[in-house]
Amino acid sequence: MTENKKKILEMLAQNKISTDDAYHLLNVIESGESGRESTSNAETTVKEKAKYLRVTVLPDSENEHSGNVDRVNVRVPMSLIRAGIKLTSLIPPEARDKVNGALREKGIDFDVRNLKPEDIEELIEALSDLEVDVVSSKGEKVKVFVE
Amino acid sequence: MKRPPMLMHLKIQGEDRGFGLWLPLFLLLPLALVVFIVLSPLILIAVIVLWPSGWGKRALLILGAACEALCSMRGLRVDVRSGYQCIYISVV
Repeated sequence: MTENKKKILEMLAQNKISTDDAYHLLNVIESGESGRESTSNAETTVKEKAKYLRVTVLPDSENEHSGNVDRVNVRVPMSLIRAGIKLTSLIPPEARDKVNGALREKGIDFDVRNLKPEDIEELIEALSDLEVDVVSSKGEKVKVFVE
Repeated sequence: MKRPPMLMHLKIQGEDRGFGLWLPLFLLLPLALVVFIVLSPLILIAVIVLWPSGWGKRALLILGAACEALCSMRGLRVDVRSGYQCIYISVV
């Protein structure tokens, strides 16, 4: 029960407002809450519509027009990430240990055995909120985001 | 079911020379399907032989997942440029 509903009921108990007024006010509050719920549902739908993971590296605006610059523009479909995670779960146990060892050598302490198909949707949903925005000392802009 | 990709645009540009290629996947996929159908009895035998060790089931699942990954490639775009060098891959 929200704070406003409690206040209305308290006012009704103290006979400050009539039953009809309380009923009317409660209806107004409930319609407001359902409106907010529909807004949050719409936000969820927008999140679900995330289709691509984008990685861009853009040069400094001063060097942009000179020829000798690095640019990266990668667009990966979310469905491909989903399929990739499914494939990861099919890696044989012996190979998983090798992958884990190779990752550890690169300084990444991650166990690929933890990637399970049932966690895919949660992971994709978490990716929808991801946004990385880095500007290097050379002025290059690195962006990782979902669209 | 997702539709498989139709075209792949591949472009590699070096310092002095480069090339671009449009791969008609819609023509290559039927060929791959024919090869798969021809080889399917052998695949089936291999799966049955390997089933007790657990590799048969894994091979079947990998086959399915690989098909799904192929169909999910539509929309993939990789564009990396360094100076006058460039690698561009786009799957349509």
